[in-house]
Amino acid sequence: MIEIRIHGRGGQGGVTLAKLIAAAEHREGRSVQAFGIYAAERSGAPVQAFLRADEEPIHNPNQIYEPDHLIVLDPTLISPVILSGLKPGGWILLNCETTPEHYAGQERVNSFRIATIDATSIAVKHGLGSRTVPIVNTALAGAAARLLGMNLESVVAAFEDFGFHGGNQLAAREAWDEVRVQKDPPKPGEFKKQEISHARGHAFIGGNEGAPPAIHTGQWANQQPAWENATPPCNFICPAGNDVQGFLAALTEEDVDGALEILLQTSPLPSVCGRVCPGFCMMQCNRSELEGPVNVRGLERYAGDHGEVQVTAAAGRPEQVAVIGAGPAGLSGAYHLARLGYGVTIYEAGSELGGLMRTGIPEYRLPRAALDRDIERITRLGVKTVFNRRIDHRALEELTHEYDAVMAATGLQRLTSIDLGLDLGTDQGRVLQGIEFLDKARCSAVEVTGEDVVVVGGGNTAIDAARSALRLGANEVRIIYRRTRDEMPAIPEEVDDAIDEGIQIDFLCSPVRITREGEKRQLSCQRMELGEPDESGRRRPVVIPGAEFEIPCDRVILAVGQAADLSLLPEGAELSEDHPVEETVDAPVYGAGDLLTNEGTVTAAIGCGRDMALMLHERFSGEKRYADPPDEATVVRADQVRFQHFEMQHRHDEKVLPFERRSGSFDEVRQGLEGVDEARRCLSCGVCNSCDRCVTYCPDGVLKRVGKEIVFDYDYCKGCGVCVSECSRAVIYMKTA
Amino acid sequence: MNMQLATGNQAAGHSMSIAGEANRHARGSISGIYPITPQTEIVEYVAKFPFSKGRVIPVESEHSAMGVCIGASLNGARAFTASSSNGLAYMAENVMVAAFYRLPIVMAAVNRTLGPPWNIWADQGDSLMFRDFAWVQLYCDSNQDVADTTLLAFRLAEDPRVLLPVMVCMDAFIVSHTSMEIELASQEQADRYLPPCEIPHHLDPAHPVTVGGMAFPQETLTHRMDLDQAIRQVPAVLEEHRAHFNEVFGREVSGAVSAYRTEDADQIFIASGTISLTLKDVVDERRQKGEKIGMIRIKMFRPFPTAEIARLCRNVEKIGVLDRNYSAGTGGIFWQEIRAALQGRGGHLVQGYLTGVGGGDVVPDAVREVVADLKQRTEAGDPVWKGIDQ
Repeated sequence: MIEIRIHGRGGQGGVTLAKLIAAAEHREGRSVQAFGIYAAERSGAPVQAFLRADEEPIHNPNQIYEPDHLIVLDPTLISPVILSGLKPGGWILLNCETTPEHYAGQERVNSFRIATIDATSIAVKHGLGSRTVPIVNTALAGAAARLLGMNLESVVAAFEDFGFHGGNQLAAREAWDEVRVQKDPPKPGEFKKQEISHARGHAFIGGNEGAPPAIHTGQWANQQPAWENATPPCNFICPAGNDVQGFLAALTEEDVDGALEILLQTSPLPSVCGRVCPGFCMMQCNRSELEGPVNVRGLERYAGDHGEVQVTAAAGRPEQVAVIGAGPAGLSGAYHLARLGYGVTIYEAGSELGGLMRTGIPEYRLPRAALDRDIERITRLGVKTVFNRRIDHRALEELTHEYDAVMAATGLQRLTSIDLGLDLGTDQGRVLQGIEFLDKARCSAVEVTGEDVVVVGGGNTAIDAARSALRLGANEVRIIYRRTRDEMPAIPEEVDDAIDEGIQIDFLCSPVRITREGEKRQLSCQRMELGEPDESGRRRPVVIPGAEFEIPCDRVILAVGQAADLSLLPEGAELSEDHPVEETVDAPVYGAGDLLTNEGTVTAAIGCGRDMALMLHERFSGEKRYADPPDEATVVRADQVRFQHFEMQHRHDEKVLPFERRSGSFDEVRQGLEGVDEARRCLSCGVCNSCDRCVTYCPDGVLKRVGKEIVFDYDYCKGCGVCVSECSRAVIYMKTA
Repeated sequence: MNMQLATGNQAAGHSMSIAGEANRHARGSISGIYPITPQTEIVEYVAKFPFSKGRVIPVESEHSAMGVCIGASLNGARAFTASSSNGLAYMAENVMVAAFYRLPIVMAAVNRTLGPPWNIWADQGDSLMFRDFAWVQLYCDSNQDVADTTLLAFRLAEDPRVLLPVMVCMDAFIVSHTSMEIELASQEQADRYLPPCEIPHHLDPAHPVTVGGMAFPQETLTHRMDLDQAIRQVPAVLEEHRAHFNEVFGREVSGAVSAYRTEDADQIFIASGTISLTLKDVVDERRQKGEKIGMIRIKMFRPFPTAEIARLCRNVEKIGVLDRNYSAGTGGIFWQEIRAALQGRGGHLVQGYLTGVGGGDVVPDAVREVVADLKQRTEAGDPVWKGIDQ
């Protein structure tokens, strides 16, 4: 008589495996018996099955307590319990990826022979079962037949009795070939007997209490649910470090002030970001998989424009910090330092706060009133300002004598140029830099009425310059860009608006030279095509030889990039995101914003200013006020969100200024959301929003809400996983019990 | 021999189906049937069977399942069904009606613990709740026994001397879901074994009657006495049909009672269902050690084989009864019946053991403990619960 015990999980096909081997043994002329212990039928629950084969008729109705061999379908089941009673020298056939030697050294299995087969991979390869629950039994039948000295053809023929063809038969054959057998099995003298465990009831009937006994069904669980907020993708990606999910949650409660307060924890410029941020959060928004991302930018603007929050500074600290530059990074650094109690003085080369936000972003995108509103919140904290002071190398050194620390946030002061054969500026201002043009445009210091204007570049400055030119009365505005739309760094919505406003964009087109023909200019351009990716990962534009053409025009605006001017720093010093410059200076010098990172967005500059402020604070106070960035593995992605729980709900878009009112006007194009209903579209990925579906659907009533927490009564939780499948947002997950 | 692998459920499904098909030249067959763990495979089997004159009628409950069988049987069809546990409980009202109408319906009952607490494992408490419903009850111990007893059940039920429904019982999972090699009957054999189903009182539109109308006490008394007369015929009629079974199938189907090594025994152990298989091994083991013990397997619970039990036990002092069932306030139900059967026949010590109640595996060690307990007893006591750490 051979007795085999099979250990698997519900859904893997363990009971059928016993029947398959029985059918094969039957074909080889032996008497057989095959059965399983069924439990509350549940996918993933531990399952046992039994197989007897003998030359004599079998009549023993009992389960198998002293098996000759074991077959284990899931290596996570290996425990002293499954080894119970196994006869010394018996086979343990394991479904796992590793070799028998991986287990062979372990003391509790050193009286047995081990064989392994990766039946799961074989099952997946042959499409048996589903991807989450591959059915591994036919592969294991092949492997077991080899170990038991059976004829493979008996096994495959037995499959026919079950209607198992094709992949099942191939799986068995493959497993027969691939089963790995322990190279150096223990010798009989080394065998130790295993204890046998019989399940017995507990005498829990103490007294007659008039109620049925409480059965702690939690003991049945091999997995248990747990609860933990994860990371929403918007929060993970936001360069400013905003708690996007958090402020949207406040808005769902119509709590605009609360939402603004959450935003102001990380960013002093919500009214600005709510207008000019490219919306990294929206690009990552899982709702894109349903009917479109949540309009986070519009909601941030709403909170910034409509919320009322008094920001206060902590008790004064003795240290004084000089911040160089009043762009987004400098303002953010100053704001956070001031809130932490530092004395802050901003040194600005211009005469107003805001940097490029004021001079480089046109009013139709960012009205001055919105910018001033955010900035006023910063100055109200007692930040001092020194205007019209351009800090150079020497001035910086002086500041380090005067202050305890310096934060340099001068942005990208060096404008990239292209040699087009005519000197910039010398051609009566007909060729000029985009940044310069935008600054002049806002002061009405440039006249383009009736002109044909060509803008070179694909970033926001190029789009802003083109649209500003149109508003100033240009006849025709064209953008030429050397790559394609997909590679354009400008905010996609802005590009759409530019095209809608009548601006023509020539892609795969690069300027070569400008020639003067009387009052007109000729811009010679070169057709390009995309080649191999460059270091930025974008495909490099390559010249198509001989494909040149001319664009007649009156003015060319270059917006082809900017770079940091590091001449300000002490000689030999290099800025780092991890530490300040300290050599050869009296006080530490921190970089911030584009000067340090060259990321090119207001949002990233805000985040960087804050990071450097908190780093500075840690140095002076020893207090760590920032959390380390979450592990990317904790970010909830779309495949973890249960979209079927949500109704389709179209995005609330902002009203826009009609086209006919845009020409000749710098009135703001996007006019903001009218309310906060859009916030209700937030899926709250990874963050419990007390929807309580888990509490409602738990079949055993073992979940309870206690405040913001979910509490499980593990005494009675069978680990069915219904709460996990009902959690819309991947907050509840299963762990091994 | 044509041996095939089949579970107890498949065995029951097969035998019921070919029995139904065997009536194709008469009034055909009908099954009203409703699935419940662990009987569902039977439903699957009969639902797939290609009856040439018969139908399987899906219903919404066990109560209706038996209702369909009653209607079909009253119209002369061969009717059969299957259920288990709380499904049987829900069917109960019509189960009684089937017998009191004297309809030869055959039902496979897969013995599963009654809930709550919910439990799917073997326990005879479900079918035993019908002990006073005038059904013949046969408890099988193996897949082959289920296959053969089911065919025997039709022959017995339809015998004009009996005309009572028969319940063929098997242990949940241990029989219902265990694959073993058995010999399944062919249609040709079933056709030879089962004559066309004749129900003398079946309805006839030409002669309309009301069935099951109001009756006064005196008429009801007569009805009960008729039932008693009929069910008392069963032991003798069963033996006739067992002999006939042997002729057609070339093998023996077990009878109401099977005795093993009882001739010279001083102690006898009594069990039913699959526990008797384990018990048999332990008897052999003890006999090898010189202990004079024997065993009786009771297959037929209704009518209770009182005379045969009394005959087999006449010379023994001590009797141990192993019950996989429990009647609150008394003990095992077979134990009570045996005590009643032996009452006034010589003062045996009859001790009850509650083994495998709720479906636990009754392992040889548990049976050995029972044997040892009876050996040292000088008087009977309360039933002993086995499988609990006291």
